[in-house]
Formats: sequence, C-alpha cells, structure tokens
Amino acid sequence: MALTEDRPLALPSGDSDDGYTPTGVFRRPTAETGPRSWFTTVDHKKIGIMYGAAAIFFFIIGGVEALLIRMQLWSPRGTLLSANLYNQVYTMHGTTMVFLVVMPIGAAFANYLIPLQIGARDVAFPRINAFSFWAFLAGGVFLNSSWFLGGGADGGWFMYAPNSGVIFSPTNGIDFWNLGLIITGIASLTGAVNLIVTVLNMRAPGMTLMRMPIFTWMALVSQFLLLFAIPVLTSAQVLLMLDRLFDANFFNVAKGANPLLWEHLFWIFGHPEVYLMILPAFGLVSEILPTFARKPIFGYPFIVFSGIAIGFMGWGVWAHHMFVSGIGPISVTAFSLTTMFIAVPTGVKILNWTATMWGGKLNFSAPMLFSIGLVTMFTIGGLSGVMHSVAPMDTQQTDTYFIVAHFHYVLFGGAFFGFMAGFYFYWPKAFGYMLNESIGKANFWLMLLGFNLTFAPMHVLGLQGMSRRIYTYDAGYGFEFWNKVATIGAFTLAISIAMFIFNIFYSKSKAKNLPPVGPDPWDSRTIEWMTPSPTPAYNFDPIPTVTRVDDFWYRKYGETKDGKLVRIASTAEVAQQRTDGKGIHLPSPSYWPIVLAFGLPIVAYGLIFSLWLALIGGIVVLAAIYGWVMEPPDDPDAAHDDHGSEAHASDGGDATVPVSADVVKEVETVG
Amino acid sequence: MQRLPKIVRILAVISFTAVVVLFAALIVNSFQNSGKPLTSLAPEGPSAESIQQLVIPVTAIAGVIFVLVIGAIIFITWKFRERQDSNPDEFPSQIHGKTTLEIGWTILPALILAGVAVGTVLTIINLNREEPNAIKVQVAGQQWWWEYKYDLNGDGNFDGPEDITTATELVIPAGKPVQVTTTSNDVIHSFWIPGLNGKKDAVPGLYNPLKLQADEPGVFRGQCTEFCGLSHANMRMLVRAVSSSDYDAWVRNQLKDHAADPTNPAAAEGKKVWLSLCAQCHVIKGINDAKMKETPPPLVAGVAPDLTHFMTRGTFAGSIFNLYQPVSSDGQPLPMSDVAAAGDPGAVLTGGPVNTATVNRVTLEAWLRNAPALKPMYPQGGRGMPNLNLTEEQIDQLVAFLETLN
Repeated sequence: MALTEDRPLALPSGDSDDGYTPTGVFRRPTAETGPRSWFTTVDHKKIGIMYGAAAIFFFIIGGVEALLIRMQLWSPRGTLLSANLYNQVYTMHGTTMVFLVVMPIGAAFANYLIPLQIGARDVAFPRINAFSFWAFLAGGVFLNSSWFLGGGADGGWFMYAPNSGVIFSPTNGIDFWNLGLIITGIASLTGAVNLIVTVLNMRAPGMTLMRMPIFTWMALVSQFLLLFAIPVLTSAQVLLMLDRLFDANFFNVAKGANPLLWEHLFWIFGHPEVYLMILPAFGLVSEILPTFARKPIFGYPFIVFSGIAIGFMGWGVWAHHMFVSGIGPISVTAFSLTTMFIAVPTGVKILNWTATMWGGKLNFSAPMLFSIGLVTMFTIGGLSGVMHSVAPMDTQQTDTYFIVAHFHYVLFGGAFFGFMAGFYFYWPKAFGYMLNESIGKANFWLMLLGFNLTFAPMHVLGLQGMSRRIYTYDAGYGFEFWNKVATIGAFTLAISIAMFIFNIFYSKSKAKNLPPVGPDPWDSRTIEWMTPSPTPAYNFDPIPTVTRVDDFWYRKYGETKDGKLVRIASTAEVAQQRTDGKGIHLPSPSYWPIVLAFGLPIVAYGLIFSLWLALIGGIVVLAAIYGWVMEPPDDPDAAHDDHGSEAHASDGGDATVPVSADVVKEVETVG
Repeated sequence: MQRLPKIVRILAVISFTAVVVLFAALIVNSFQNSGKPLTSLAPEGPSAESIQQLVIPVTAIAGVIFVLVIGAIIFITWKFRERQDSNPDEFPSQIHGKTTLEIGWTILPALILAGVAVGTVLTIINLNREEPNAIKVQVAGQQWWWEYKYDLNGDGNFDGPEDITTATELVIPAGKPVQVTTTSNDVIHSFWIPGLNGKKDAVPGLYNPLKLQADEPGVFRGQCTEFCGLSHANMRMLVRAVSSSDYDAWVRNQLKDHAADPTNPAAAEGKKVWLSLCAQCHVIKGINDAKMKETPPPLVAGVAPDLTHFMTRGTFAGSIFNLYQPVSSDGQPLPMSDVAAAGDPGAVLTGGPVNTATVNRVTLEAWLRNAPALKPMYPQGGRGMPNLNLTEEQIDQLVAFLETLN
C-alpha cells in the first residue's frame, strides 16, 4: 500500500488521468468471466478455488506415485521400478503431498473462507494473494518438470545432507526440488503475511478475536507457523543451493561440516510444518461437527487455546525426528518430554469434539462422516505419535513403516479426511450446487476402508522390521502378506478418490434440474452462510455486524435460559439476497502477479542450466515488480460508484460503527 | 432424514466390519514374531529387553485410550443419531462447555504422560549406562555395506596391528556387552539390529555410542534404516553371536594375515586376477595392505570390504546374499531356501577349511560376472563395485582363490 502513495492513488476514483502515463504502465484488466478473468483475478474466492484445483491436480500426480510405490512393494523383489526410479518416486510422492497438496488445500480453504468468516470483502493484499497462488503453481510445475529434464529428486523429502550433495546425487533432481520449494516457500510466506494481516485488521464490526469462527482461528495459527517456519527451510535450502550449484561447503563433511546442521534446520521447519498442515483440517471439523450435531462446539475457548498451544509447543519438539542421530541423551530426554506433552492440547481437541457430539442430534451427512473419520483416524495417529515420543521406543520404530503408518494417520486420516469434509461441506457455498450425498457417503466408507487397509498394516510391518524408503525386500522376513493388503488398500483408496471426482461432475450435471441451492443448505452457524451461493464477488452486501460466536446461527435461533433453542427467524429472512453489487468497490484485477510469479521459475531454470537464462528471468521479475508498483490503482473507465458505498456497506444499525467504513476503504486502497 | 440407497448401506457395513476385522488381525499378528528375523517385538538382548519393558505398558495405555475414545465415539454416534421420526424443529440442549470437565481432561492426560515420562527417562539412563568391560567395536557405514573394526587391546585405536578389521558381519560373544561406536565414511546410515537394541545413526564425522549384547548365541539380522541412496534397501548387516570360546578362536584367526600362495593352480591364477583388478579397492592383509595405505582406493568412501577372511562370513555383498548354501547333517548342500535364512560358515568361522561343495557358487559367480546387475550401485561415481567384464575362466579362478580366504 505504502509503495503506491504517488499520484495515481491520490486520484479520486473515476477521474481520468490523461497527463500521467509512465512507461510500461498498463491499464488494469477488466474481464470478469472467461479464462482471462482467472489469470488476472485478485478475488480471494477465485484464488481459493484455483488453489484447490491445482492441489487436486498435484494430488493425482502424487497419488499415481503412491500407487507406483505400492505396486513395486506388492511382492518381494518387485521389478516395476528400478532402485533409482523408486527413490525418485518416493521422494516426489512425499514432496508433492506435503508441499503441493496438503499445504495448498489448507491455503485453498483459508483463502476462500477467512474473508467470508470474518466478514471482509477480500484479503488485505489482493494482488499479493494472486501472486502467492501463481508462485505456488509455478514452483509446483517447476518441481515436477524435473521428470522431463533428467529425473526427479532422489534424496527423500527430508533431503538429508550429505546425501543431497552433488557427489551423491549428480543429476539435477535435487536442484529442482530445492529451487522449486524455495519458490513455493515464497508463495507460502507472502500468503501467510497476507492472511495474518487480513485476520488481524479486516474483521467485520463486532467480530472480536474470540468471536471468530474456529476455522479462522486455526488457519491463523497455521499462518503464524508458516511465517516462522518457512524462512528456516528456505535458509537451509539456500545453503544447499550454494553447495550444489556454486561449490560451497556448508554440508561438506570433508571440509568440517556437521551433517546434523541440515537435520536441525529441516526439522525446525519440518515439525511446525506438520501442525500447520493439520490445523486447518481441525478448524474445518470444528465448524462441521456443531452444524450436524445441532449444538455449539463444546468449549470454544479450550479449542482455540489448545490450537494456540499446539502452535507454540510445536516449536519445541523438532529433535524428536533425531532421537537416533546422535544428539546425546540429555537432548533426547528433553525432546522426548516436550513431545509427550504436546499430546495434551491435541487430546483436548479430540475430547472436545467428542463432547460436541454428546447429546446432539447427529445428522450423518457426508461432511459429518468425514469429520468423524478425522476424529477417529487422527486419534490413532495421535496415539502412535505419543508412542514414539517415548525415545527408547522410537529407536526401534523410527525409519520403519511404523512411522509411515503414523504420519499417514495424521496427514491422511487427519488432514485429508478433514479436507474431504470441508469439500463436501463448502461445495455448495463455492459452486452453488450440492455434491450428491449418497455418492458422498459411499465415498466416505470406501475411503475409510481403503485408508485403513493401506496404512494400518504398516504399523505391524514397521514393528516387525520393515524399513522405510526401501525399493525392495526379500522373501522370508514376513513382509509379504501385509504389503499385499496395503497395495489392495491403496487401489481402494484410489477408487474412492475417483468417486469424489466423479461426484463433482455428476452432481454438476444433475444440478441443472434441481432448484438452486440456497445460501444456507446445512442450517449452519457462521456468517459465511449468510451470503448467497455461490458467493458473489463482493461477499457481503451489506457487511454484517457480529455480536457473538456463531453469529449467523443466533440470527436464526434464540436460546432460552435452560439451553433450549427456539427459532426466531427463517433463513430467508436473515440471509443476504444477491444484489448487483453496485457501489461496492472491489480491488481490480492485475496482470502482474502472474508475470512476477512465472519469472521465478525462469530464474530457477537459469540457475540450473545457464546463468544467462537466470538473467532473463531476473529481468522478467524486475519488470513485473516495476509494473506492479506503478500500476494505476484502478481502471479509470470502470463503472463504479463513488465512495457513497460506505453507507451502503453497512446495514442500518452498523452505520455508526466506524470499522465497517475502514474495511471498505482498506480494500480499495490496496488495489 | 432420507433413507440411503441400499448399496451405500451395504458398503458402510462391509467397510466398518472389514476395518474391525483388520485391526483385530493386526493385533493378533503383532504377537506372531517367529520367522520374522527383523522384528523389534522379540528382544534377545538386555538393551532390547529394556525397551520392550517400555513398549508393553505404553502400548497397553495407548490401546486402552484408543478403545475408550473410539468406543465412546461409536457409542455417541449410535445413541445420538438423528432418528427417522424425529421432529426437525426439536433441538438438543445447547451446551457450550463445562470448565471443570475441560480442566479435568487437560490434567488427566498430563498425569498419565507424566507417568510415562518417568519410565522413559529411567530407560534412557539405563540404555546409556557405560559398560566398563565391553568389547569396543567401531562400525562404519558406507554405500552400501558395513565395516567393523575391533579395538582388541583397548588403546582407543581401531587400526593397530593387534586390532581386527572386517566387514558385513559383526561377530560377538554371546552374553558379553559390546560397545559399538557408529560412524560413516560417506552419507548418513543407521545401524539397527532390532533383536538386540534400537538403532543409531552412522553420521560422517560423528561417533555415536550403541550398546549391543546377545543373551544367547545366534544370528541377528539388521537393515540400514537411514536412507543412504541408491541401494539403501540392499544395505543389511548381521550380528553373529557365538560362544566365548568360538569368539576367541575367531579373533585368533582374524588376526592372521593371508597365508602363503595357494597351491591349487586355479586359485594361484585367481590370485593374479585378484591382484590386477580387485586389489585396487579391496584389501587382503599380507598381500596389499601396505600398498593400500599409500594409494587409497578410488572410492568416495575410501574403503572397500576387507577380504582377508572372506570365507569366514556367511553372507556377502552387504549381507544380501548367502555365501554358503544350507547343508544337510552329513554336509551335503540342500536347495537354497529363502534368502532370509542366513548362510552359515560353520567351522570356517574359526579358521577351519572351506568345504567348497557348500559354497553358494551360483550367486558368487553371478556377482563377479556383473555386480551392479545384482545390486544397484554407482561405480562410475566411485560408489560401489563395477562390472569388471571378467571371462568365465577368470571368474572360476577368482572363486577358487576366494575359497582360500578362510
């Protein structure tokens, strides 16, 4: 904002600016529909949807990699993949699933929902938001382009030094991994700053922090984790880049380096990373369980503070990934204890969700089933997590399939089940049609079955000695049976994913013959459900004033003193009507985020193949920054009202609340 | 509430039942550890046993919590499900929370964990207690095999004339403590003999302690558990615990240099082949150990397996292949069974003569013919054994020579 204090911003909007056209400054794009509108959009909802779509695309790639792994391990001495290819496939599977699937799906929900849940029209920095998405996509595509340019990275997603050095991995795969994740790291970092500022500054009148929906809370904690964790990874990756591309010696043991430096840096990032991946899913089920239990979340402040506690404690446990690396018994003891006690806030969450369902009137819709799936499956992952917080036990379990089982129960059974719940729950809000419930329930049961068949046997495989990251195993170790079960499970899981994708298209085709879905198909609780479905570009008209947690619910229902609920208004009365949005000033689209984002992989290709190309990429980046900075705040010809919208933006009683006007101004000036 | 299509209800029942059956089968299976040479659930040494004493109660606590939580959720979802005939305008009573309950279930898990923490700390102390009279062995990992150096005279040096260097198999006396120090010559590996203790990473530049002790003589398999590149899966190891007298005899034999030239003409030819090709990287003490000190091998790790007493090992190539076939009681070779049953050198272990009929020639010849085809390696980058393009005659001669290395 501060960068554009010069003339353009000072113009009252609508005035023309004939005398002032600096070189390279273009008018802002105006398309609102069609492909171009997506490339230039700064609308947090479109960006959220693109995050989700890209993540599902990468999920299919990562899923195919998973199936290749499972087919290779179907029987002893599998011959589908060579050792070299297997190492690439499992590395890219882990990297893809963490950085290009779970993180961006979290970002998709955060982008789509945070402004809606706090009653804002967009995020604080809409162009930066677009940049975050495009940079993520550019990084992800760059990373995967390694498959066509000499092979993927082969050092594991944890990329331990010195195995990641040029001597041990002479192909370019690790350079792609390194630079690709630096780019997605930039995306995560800018996204985190953006969403933190949005939550802290752009809440609707009356939306105090302790009235925020729990999803927004959990996403906020998760963004803070990103903000502090990503720079640690990026620093480590810059060191690795200097080692690999410019012959530095940060991880060269012969020159006196200690390989544990990388392990520490990676896990100082890597463990908060785990929590930032799971917290958005925790937030989603905290929205969904009360909706379908027909009663409020049990212990809102405990859920919120346990999330914050996880966010803080998540920083003090990283070395539990290193119990056997030789950090010494004192460190092992310390990290063993901190890791044990992080189970406390996590346990609080599980028990609160259970208590939310207690005494409720449970409607087992597809989102509810997936949410209960998260609570149960995550419980298993949490308990196995406590088991290897006990360091001596971990010395037997670490780097075996027991760990593979554990973190898939956390990240698939936890995060991904939560995301599935979120997809089914928020689909009508985002796209204006419901996903078919019967297919959704079948989807759930098949996924539950496939998931458990795949990952539950890995507990026993690990305890009985099957090591991780092995492309082959021999007969006679007792691994055959459960590996077969796991492979069957993986294909069952694949079918359940296919069922979900089928459901999207099937339900869309059926939706034509159905009445349009209303703003509030689930009888939900939070204010995003006030908006028409699909949400219009302006989100709210007018911005609501919030008086309590679950504000929208209490517009529909009153509560008597003894906790009885009575309907006080119909949904139609309290939900918002779709308006033409006239008079609401929204940030204008821009070309520059996508240009800037796609300059980054050019630099990265250049670093690998030719520094001249890096120079070209650098010029693209600089030109994009110049264009971005000098971009006029608005299309002068765009038809929009003047700032009379302020009165419009707040309903009767709210006009006196100054925050509302600020929110509108904020969005405008950001451009 | 609308009824579900029948097929979805059937799927739900199948899925739920299958998951319950699966979990039950897994629990039962985790108690069946015979025939599973890498299992961590059947400890055979004091360190592994003290870990097991932690595993049992902690797993039991986790299991009880699991049953309680999952049971509660299943109960709740059944009891509080929305009924077909329920009145849509009737709502459950609206409870927002109960602070005492919340504080209770914050403190209770913390107390349970505090109990677990006590056991954990005690076990960590126990596992790190030094054994003053332990045999000292330095274990060095490199792509993709293990080297063992015994400091027999206790001078802190592992390379003295009174010390032993061997590879692939770690020979220890049963019932006696062995203090292992792990390190690495290239990337990070992890040394893990599940039957005897947890694992310890082998980190280049670091020297990490790990106690090993076997209660009874026996063979204990291991697998490298830190990803170490191309052939990580093929980097295995084996601990051969023997009686004290066998151990002493083994030590005496290991201390010997290679004896005089072989008398068998094929073996004599094989020695020439060995000197011209293999001696660049491999050492046989008494033949090329002095020269090797001047010109180290052209390998990233700077070392290849010491072959001085090659035939005293039951396995080779990172312990993935058996050097000996199973034999019947009268010494006749039996058909190879699965490779998990480790080859047994028998009396060769302590320097006895090699019964060439029991040697697993087929695999040994295949290895010499084209090693990277049997085990992925990267010889062009100085990591692992290359294909030496030997003739069949050379291979026969080499095998004859290797068979003299007892």
